[in-house]
Amino acid sequence: MLGRVLGTEDATPTSFWFLVASGQSVQLDDLVVARTRRPDGLEVAFYGLVESVRKRHEGVSFESDVEDVMAGVLPASVSYAARVLVTRVDPENFVPPQPGDPVLHARGADLHMALSADKMKDAAFPGGLLADGQVMPLNYRFVNGESGGHINISGISGVATKTSYALFLLHSIFRSGVLGKGASDTRAVIFNVKGEDLMFLDRPNRSASEIEAGVQRGKGLAANRYQLLGLPQEPFRDVQFLAPPRPGGTGSSIVPHVEQRTSGVTPFVFTLREFCRRRMLPYSFADRDSSLNLGFVIGSIEEKLFRLSRDGEQPYLTVADWKPDTDVMLDEELQFSELGEVRVDTFPKLVSYLEYKLLDENDGNGDPRWVGKQAPATLQAFIRRLRGVQKHLAPLIRGDLSAAQAAQYRPDLTRPDRQLSVVDIHKLSGHGQMFVVGVLLRDLFEYKERTGRSNTIFVVLDELNKYAPREGDSPIKDVLLDIAERGRSLGIILIGAQQTASEVERRIVSNAAIRVVGRLDMAEAERPEYRFLPQSFRARAGILQPGSMLVSQPDVPNPVLVNYPFPAWATRPDEVEQVTEAAEVEGSMRDLFGL
Amino acid sequence: MRIRLDPWPVDTQSGQLSLHAFNGEAIDIETPRWAAIAPRDIPQRLKRVYVVDGKPRMEARLLIEDDQGQSSFAGYGAFVAGAVDLCPHGSRPAELKDVRVQRVLAHGANMQLSPVQLSPRNPHTGQLEYRPSGFPADRDEATAPAAHIQALMLEAEQQLSHGLASSVPFDEDDDREVLSALTIQDGTLRGRNLGGAVVGCVKTLHTMYIDPGRMELLARLKPGERTPILHLRYGHNQFTRFSWYVRLCEAPFHLHPLAGVMRLEMYAPEEPDFLPPIVRAVANVSGTLLCRLAGQAHKDPRAPQNLIPTAALETAMGRSMGDLNLVTRRIRAHIAAELGAAVLGGVA
Repeated sequence: MLGRVLGTEDATPTSFWFLVASGQSVQLDDLVVARTRRPDGLEVAFYGLVESVRKRHEGVSFESDVEDVMAGVLPASVSYAARVLVTRVDPENFVPPQPGDPVLHARGADLHMALSADKMKDAAFPGGLLADGQVMPLNYRFVNGESGGHINISGISGVATKTSYALFLLHSIFRSGVLGKGASDTRAVIFNVKGEDLMFLDRPNRSASEIEAGVQRGKGLAANRYQLLGLPQEPFRDVQFLAPPRPGGTGSSIVPHVEQRTSGVTPFVFTLREFCRRRMLPYSFADRDSSLNLGFVIGSIEEKLFRLSRDGEQPYLTVADWKPDTDVMLDEELQFSELGEVRVDTFPKLVSYLEYKLLDENDGNGDPRWVGKQAPATLQAFIRRLRGVQKHLAPLIRGDLSAAQAAQYRPDLTRPDRQLSVVDIHKLSGHGQMFVVGVLLRDLFEYKERTGRSNTIFVVLDELNKYAPREGDSPIKDVLLDIAERGRSLGIILIGAQQTASEVERRIVSNAAIRVVGRLDMAEAERPEYRFLPQSFRARAGILQPGSMLVSQPDVPNPVLVNYPFPAWATRPDEVEQVTEAAEVEGSMRDLFGL
Repeated sequence: MRIRLDPWPVDTQSGQLSLHAFNGEAIDIETPRWAAIAPRDIPQRLKRVYVVDGKPRMEARLLIEDDQGQSSFAGYGAFVAGAVDLCPHGSRPAELKDVRVQRVLAHGANMQLSPVQLSPRNPHTGQLEYRPSGFPADRDEATAPAAHIQALMLEAEQQLSHGLASSVPFDEDDDREVLSALTIQDGTLRGRNLGGAVVGCVKTLHTMYIDPGRMELLARLKPGERTPILHLRYGHNQFTRFSWYVRLCEAPFHLHPLAGVMRLEMYAPEEPDFLPPIVRAVANVSGTLLCRLAGQAHKDPRAPQNLIPTAALETAMGRSMGDLNLVTRRIRAHIAAELGAAVLGGVA
């Protein structure tokens, strides 16, 4: 027995204090159960978690009495009490517990009840370990969109290890067996935004076993944390790594722009025709709302480009109504085809063409059909912005490829043989990152709109506040909002993370069924976005250590503190366990054949 | 004009100081030289100090008749005697010891009564059992039950005090006894000596055992210092005590100069011809020990005489007797139920 319900503090159906019995130790987040018997014999169980623990000298009234107590002069006893937030009352008979009722650690069946695992049944997958080494189940139905969807993770960078927890959740979803038959169809996409941290997810981490053994010893756990969770201690399987091409390359020399990983990274590019046909122009502008008219111009040019791209299948576009002045030619490689058409096969050329159509043609008045009735200032703003992003987008949008190359380097996040796609965008500028994230997410969303929710695609995106800020508007925000609001019914699930949820579009955060909080800035923790945390948890969020997260899910009314094992996969090149030569060779062979 | 405060609050029975004349006999037994004696360190072999106190409580005044038609004033009462067990060297925490309440039905002599159990109202409030205890036949006035409960408490207190302490040899030949356990009892020693190393701490200075010329030393004592030991005989030679004065703290300027002074006493043999070494040993350490245990004015209105462990013990004893309002309610409910049953039975 852990203790007894106190009679000197109010005991209510939602919270109560208990005196910790001598020789027992209770810490925050311990899950406990108290049982009371009504006069009619009905037994009511109160499951809850320890929200506060305190010790004090009992029977003394002055603070300085502690000196006398320690001098052995004043008899006093230490009272050790804990406050419990009730998470569940079973049966739902909201009587208070009786002072003196015994309080026990929730273990086994009690733990199941405390965490509502009985409601989850086969949809439960491990979401981490409680402080005492027991598994905290998460309800997959609240992840995959069946009852709810999306996961949101908040926390300070570097301390909160948001990405680590997101990866742990993916690993748990993929490998715990919760997917059942759907396992082969489930996909995940991660955008790598910082360093090349995620480029080694398919390699074992050489520190993992040692660290896990140390934790097991330190916490006195019965087994390795992976064993306790029932998960294999293995890196991710069936991963494809996508990276943008190195800038400056022309023609066939398309190599991925990564430094640390030498093999197994596929470069990705979009053709100029795709850019137009698939209406990617808006994703080149992060701040289209800066003036109303600019948005209108973008929309009308997008439509014009779409029409231009309808005929033909080549990666480039051809235009007949452009007579570039060779003196002001931006690019000496401008090609003219047989029929007097100009081939637009690079992004700068496309920008020059648009400049011509909007500003230069017709003695500086532009082509009336393109210009519409827009003021020249707006058109100039449009071109100026496009010129601004030209450098960033030029390596990504190419018209100088063969059709075969275009097909080979087209990013495919739904390849049947790849469960996990890592899209490396950390080398891209902010504009480039926006463009890639926006275009790929839009593609995924459209793909899911076509195929329905037969399978689930997880999208892991850090720094949501950058892509979907609370203030302002952007095409990326639109597509993220689409995913947040409609994605769960289509089977596209956002695992979003940010330092500060208060700076992310409210509708995205509020759509997440599962909310996770790592270490927070104290001021941030007091914002309304974290109201789901009881006050004591908000205070505690300021002192959480890496590897500990507060997880809130709809089934359990209070958040639960969990820790999760050290990644079994490498997140930095120096963590990569030396793999056997054969595996290395196999990896490079795959790469060679573009497998 | 010079005005000084008596330190004790006005709601205590009397002031700390009243100084009536002493009509017994006081003899210098330690030394005829009337001067301050410096405190000594507490010897290592003194391992345990017990601070003992008791508390009576009248819970209901009764008039009872037994089946033989005898009647008397009576009372439901409770008393408790308890101790704080502490190490004078401060090497372990102080602990409460034997703080257990006893409940009695105090009644007149020659009555045949059986124990009364007050039925609990719900399982959490436990049993209340009053054990009948008759007081002597010569006392049959309304205050007798309360006095009887007081007497029972004092007896329990004395038993506890002596049971815990080292024994004191009152024999010149016995020098083997060393002071290893000392009991500090709150108030004067009462009744007969049971042979334990028990020192009574008298908080008030009500009787002037020394002549006014010697009183002046009391005002000059420094904290921890004591006077020489006296042998007192009083009450028509009924009581004999060793006694000395100790100062526990400097008297603040606004209090009378005897404010921090306390009188201690130990049991003494009738004949003033022998000062047992253990009594001198107790007197020697008393200054050091009591200065350590002395209360502080902002925590206890009767500081420093009311010792820290005594104050804690008083609280614990009060708590052990339970809430008086709840107890009297139980008594009322019990008697009402009994009478109600009898009345209803008579009707049936």
